[in-house]
Amino acid sequence: MRNYENLVIVKPTLTAEEIQANISAIEEVITSNGGEIAARDAMGMRKLAYPLGKNERGYFHVIYYSVAPSAINEIERRFRINENLLRFVTIKYDTNREVTAWNQLVQKAQKKATQPAGEAKVEVEVEEVVIPAALEEDAE
Amino acid sequence: MAERRKYKKRFCKYCEAKVDFMDYKDVAALRFSLSERYKIMPRRLTGNCKRHQDMIATVIKRARAAALVPYTVTRKTVVTAPFENLK
Repeated sequence: MRNYENLVIVKPTLTAEEIQANISAIEEVITSNGGEIAARDAMGMRKLAYPLGKNERGYFHVIYYSVAPSAINEIERRFRINENLLRFVTIKYDTNREVTAWNQLVQKAQKKATQPAGEAKVEVEVEEVVIPAALEEDAE
Repeated sequence: MAERRKYKKRFCKYCEAKVDFMDYKDVAALRFSLSERYKIMPRRLTGNCKRHQDMIATVIKRARAAALVPYTVTRKTVVTAPFENLK
């Protein structure tokens, strides 16, 4: 078993449900080939740095998983068949340093997945603090 | 000695920060080693050490493949607001 990371870009023209269905199909490809998904990180809709097949935007999704190295060929072949995938990038985490980095990335992704509500709260608090300060400055 | 050096040779910023691994998804961190036209800056201008220059080169190439960073910026495809999706 080796640690991998896959970034997939799904077509932006699909509806939200279709995108989610596509992503679960992608994850199904990994698990059906004996992969164990450690974490996933939805980066969401983003502007692409350059157009991919006339698309200016794309839905980014990152999957961290570990799988036997021989299964990667099959996974990538299945990705290539999928027409809703604009692009995928597979990264191998092999050396000791890379494996520790992979563990950190997984933890970061898990944290992000478990507390999106907490972040939103913090943002609101910051805004509340900023507004009275700005008013005071105006008054002075 | 008619020509003056435009840039001063500097220490390696990544050694200073003790960077062991770079993530290609963190585009803001790659900004330092990219030129205005999104070329990889040479070591003589950034002062990166060889080890970190090799790391940043592979990471930038990965980010380019993932459409996070453009390959080229020409006059036709000028980025109106580069790094606008960074927040």
